[in-house]
Amino acid sequence: MSARPFSRLRLAAGALAIALLSTALAGCSVDGRETIRFTFSKREAIDFMTEVVAKYNASQDKVRVQIDTSGVDVVSASFVRGNPPDIMLANYNFEVARFVQRCALSDLSGTRAAASLRDDLQPLMDQYGSCSGRVSALPYSVMAASVIYNKQIFDEQGIQVPKTWDELLAACDRLKGAGITPFYATFKDDWTAGQGWYDYSLGGSVDVVDFFDGLNAEGADVGPDSAVSFQKDFARPISRMEKLVKDYVNPDAASRGYGDGNLAFAQGKAAMYLQGPWAFSEIAKTAPDLELGTFPLPMTDDPSQLAVRVNMDLAAMIPDGSRHKAAARDFLEYLYQPERIKAYNDSQLGFTPTKGAAAPDDPRVAGMTEYYDEGRIYQGPSVLVPKTIPVFNYAQAIVLGEDPKSILKTMDADWARIAFRAPVVKSDASASAASPETEESGE
Amino acid sequence: MSTTTTIVTAGDSTRRRSTRRVEPIYYLFLVPTLLLFTLAITVPGVIGIFFSFTDSIGIGEWSFNGLTNYIALFSDPAILQSYLFTFGFSIATVIVVNVIAFLLAVGLTSRIRFKTGLRAIFVIPMVISGIIIAYVFNFLFSNSIPAAGAATGIPWLSTSLLANPDLAWIAIVIVTAWQAIPGTLLIYIAGLLSVPGDVYEAADIDGASKRQQLLRITLPLVAGYVVINVILGFKGFLNAYDIIVGLTNGGPGTSTRSIAMTIIAGFNGGDYAYQMANATIFFIVAVLISLLQLSLTRGRNAL
Repeated sequence: MSARPFSRLRLAAGALAIALLSTALAGCSVDGRETIRFTFSKREAIDFMTEVVAKYNASQDKVRVQIDTSGVDVVSASFVRGNPPDIMLANYNFEVARFVQRCALSDLSGTRAAASLRDDLQPLMDQYGSCSGRVSALPYSVMAASVIYNKQIFDEQGIQVPKTWDELLAACDRLKGAGITPFYATFKDDWTAGQGWYDYSLGGSVDVVDFFDGLNAEGADVGPDSAVSFQKDFARPISRMEKLVKDYVNPDAASRGYGDGNLAFAQGKAAMYLQGPWAFSEIAKTAPDLELGTFPLPMTDDPSQLAVRVNMDLAAMIPDGSRHKAAARDFLEYLYQPERIKAYNDSQLGFTPTKGAAAPDDPRVAGMTEYYDEGRIYQGPSVLVPKTIPVFNYAQAIVLGEDPKSILKTMDADWARIAFRAPVVKSDASASAASPETEESGE
Repeated sequence: MSTTTTIVTAGDSTRRRSTRRVEPIYYLFLVPTLLLFTLAITVPGVIGIFFSFTDSIGIGEWSFNGLTNYIALFSDPAILQSYLFTFGFSIATVIVVNVIAFLLAVGLTSRIRFKTGLRAIFVIPMVISGIIIAYVFNFLFSNSIPAAGAATGIPWLSTSLLANPDLAWIAIVIVTAWQAIPGTLLIYIAGLLSVPGDVYEAADIDGASKRQQLLRITLPLVAGYVVINVILGFKGFLNAYDIIVGLTNGGPGTSTRSIAMTIIAGFNGGDYAYQMANATIFFIVAVLISLLQLSLTRGRNAL
């Protein structure tokens, strides 16, 4: 009786050991091919990527790629266990950037893929932190987002795409006068307030890279008296955003969610919608023939400040813990072959990050092409803060009428508190010289 | 008073242990559970507390930073607010749940028609997953009720309760109570059925009204069940997570972020060590409440 649990335990331990061993030995599979695990979990594109993998496997006989679509949480756990995937294409955000900051990814600077990339994207990648001396991640797909507008309504009202703040207000007034809701807002879902309203307003008037560089430099000193702060630099754009929200959105915005917004916008219930390209396919479910366009939200009187919000929808990374880096690099180069990366981005309405690649050929994103090509792009301020600061909730509070001054002040305090306890930004002398985060803070 | 009881029970058990020799096999029965409990709960718990004194993000290199996380924690208004919200919400929900469940239990144990059928109906919410309930109510609050408000011209109904930062917590209390009432109800029904019928007969003969019987006889006799329900309920509500995620996701703004939500947001955002410190504090709070529960229920049993 007493032996039972122990033997069962031993059995379990044995099974575990075999499982671990088999993953370790997976490299040498039966037919002599080196098997590598490729993490890819963007739902909409799994079919596309599975096909790419199949083509690659058929194209040579050295490496076999296995696609793993289990998602970010599983990947994080595999890093903790010391058994990360061999190559990953993942959304580039603070969650993934942890691996960069702690130097858990290998250097890709020597690859042809890295050489083919546009230079002006690297500063955006670095906003999430970097590992000194390494190019840890390469952008693969860039999503550009800006105001989506209903071309038919604009034409009927004789409205041109606004380029300045005054033109925007004039357009809104004309729409309102004609009984049309200018903006459809969905404030019930906090991320829509953050991604659209908060990010577009700020990105249209603040130099996002400079702002966050300044914020990092201030670190724990961020506050009312620091050179850079949320309460100082964001006050004006946020007050303009408040004006738009107060005068020009649907009255039931507070109880409408993202799904409601897609439906209402597809039904022509408003002229403009602050969403990203991911909403196109949702809108097309209701109104496949609706003519839509995009333009950056003008927040100042200077058209040269117009810029579109981008995010690194996919970035390629090869973990340092991989035992098949050479094979993974071979597959990486395959993924970055010009026609392949272009085909992927065309299929997802994404912009290709390689030099000289043409923009996706779709009228709905055509309005953003010139800005992307000229590098007039920014990453959303809502995704550039650690998730500990609930910036989506803050943005939602502002659009629902809370005093922005107190919220921006809270954000300053949150930022300072994170800087106080995280050594990543400051204090390079106190930590041990070998620790990677020290190198990072040296920049 | 409670200390005396402790000593008495402790003395009781030692006497029993010494008089009857325990078969060693019983200890072996404990081993599998003990192993699993240690591996799955105690060890991760201790590791978590250990990492709360570091700057770890869950992977890679880390170093000790002493009490930095705790210092930052106590000056963090978001954390403070989550504690205030969670406790306020728990207290409100406990009151609502226990009052309604008690009255329902009284009704369902009295001589009424369709008693069994009604009991079954009232217990249904217990078996539905919290997140599903939350999404259904989310739709009701955001669409159905405002539509009804607009149709009837009642202005306060036509805006969603979930969109109001000052009132969204009420919606969460309503939905949580809706789900929690059945469990509490069952315990109260058991309690009410344990009250002997002859005390009511005696009260009837003495001419006590039904209301007097409820307040003077029923309530004191099921007081032990009230204590259990209040404390179990309160502890459960402190862990509120799924219903809030489904209803408001912590919003509008940050008005309904519970402690569990801030802890989990920290994990997802690579803030492992900091939220481990938060979890450690939360653990201490939970232990204190459990001790309170133990001392209270012990006192009740002694009565």
